[in-house]
Amino acid sequence: MANILWSNIFRKGESELQVITRMWQETPLFNNIPERHIAFLCEKMHLRDFKAGEVIFTQGDQGAGAILVLEGEVRVSAQKTELALLGSGDFFGEIALAAPERRTADANATTHSRLVYFLRQDLVEWIEYEPRLGAAFLLNLSATLAQRLFEANKLIAAET
Amino acid sequence: MTLQQSPYLQTLKLLAIVIAVCLASFYLISSVLIPVIISFTLYALFQPAVTYLVRHDVNHSLSIVIVLVVLLITSMLMIGFALPALLEQVSLLQARLPEISSQLGRLLTEYGEKLSAKVGADIDVSAITLSFLSKSSSLGQAVLINVSNGLFNFIIIFILVPFLTYYLLKDFKRVRNALMNWLPNSSFELGWLIYYNVSTQLQAYVRGVMLQSLIMATFTAIGFSIIGLDIPVLLGAITGLFNLVPYIGPIISIVLSLLVGAAMTPFDPTILYLSVVVIVSAQIFDNAVVIPSIVANAVNLHPVQAILGILIFGSLFGTIGIILAVPAIATGKIVFKNIYADMANASLKAG
Repeated sequence: MANILWSNIFRKGESELQVITRMWQETPLFNNIPERHIAFLCEKMHLRDFKAGEVIFTQGDQGAGAILVLEGEVRVSAQKTELALLGSGDFFGEIALAAPERRTADANATTHSRLVYFLRQDLVEWIEYEPRLGAAFLLNLSATLAQRLFEANKLIAAET
Repeated sequence: MTLQQSPYLQTLKLLAIVIAVCLASFYLISSVLIPVIISFTLYALFQPAVTYLVRHDVNHSLSIVIVLVVLLITSMLMIGFALPALLEQVSLLQARLPEISSQLGRLLTEYGEKLSAKVGADIDVSAITLSFLSKSSSLGQAVLINVSNGLFNFIIIFILVPFLTYYLLKDFKRVRNALMNWLPNSSFELGWLIYYNVSTQLQAYVRGVMLQSLIMATFTAIGFSIIGLDIPVLLGAITGLFNLVPYIGPIISIVLSLLVGAAMTPFDPTILYLSVVVIVSAQIFDNAVVIPSIVANAVNLHPVQAILGILIFGSLFGTIGIILAVPAIATGKIVFKNIYADMANASLKAG
């Protein structure tokens, strides 16, 4: 099972950094950002292992950045209602990239998961050196947050 | 909630552990504490330059070498230009020391006699003067011993600092990441938040304070030469250096410039008033212009917290304690605030 997952994530001859770079590149956050700049950022990111059932964060925790699921599965919920089930290549917690706000939902690993942390401070430092690309990234981030808000509004409208 | 479960107490407990670990680390490296502090200061100052070069496709190690070589050449040039003038001023001050003590003795006798006449009591001015002079001479001897010890320390610093700075610039982030990876998953984000808040504040503080000292040194050196005080460059440099110690440093600078002014021949009290005017106007300029634009928000401490901290750290750890008091208390405040926010949230969820 592990080998199938492994071969799904890693293409032939790809290093871990290349996989992480490719996965972030495929997210809307890095639209129009050249690969070598994404790779530079990915070098600063942090890989963490979570056991099945382990808490990643809970509502109200201080958030330090966005998280990409490299392997495994993550359940995002609020007030015990499941909001999303995320798999390899998905990301969450991006509000913490925009502002030092508290987490708005709970996140748990449902299987053994490997997660990549992209911290806000690394983004801030990168923007200082690459303001033009930083502006492009922030526009992507705004669009992603707007999309999430739109989806949340739709969910609330459906419930009422 | 019981008192033992209070997030405030839990945070205090955790903070006490952090302080104990820091003190133990300082104790372990106490013999090389000064070179370590200087190296970290240089790291904070020059790390942005290295990152700038790396971002422009220069190899990391080469970027560090370029920055260190530029720093070394600049310091050599500065020492080459400034050292002869500074040494000349130190020897001038040395030559004037007997004059300063006799002038002080004369002043004390004069004012003592006036005071005795006014209050009608008999004050033994000569005894006070004698005790002052003997204390000054033993202080002078202590200074000489310190200078010879200082030379040995200077050599150690001169050898150690470039090595330490090179390796900090090269490997600090790698070592830091490895250490942060030891954090359990539950504290990983909190750990990084605290680290970033502390390091951002400390780096801003170090850069701000260095620039502030340079501005103060230039301001007072120019002021002292305009009013015609002796050894203006040396006094300016000392004032800039003492400015690293908030609140207490400027008072020491005033006393020092008054001593030099009192030793000038012919004695002119105007020079004493003018030196105080120079330092006070430098302080006004510092507080009104330099601090708000350069050091502002670097540390968010109430003046009372800062003064008490300086006095307590000074009595516990001496000169190093005085210099490190403000950044250490600011760091403690950030650590406490972040851990407390986390504990309070956890206790809220636990009900």
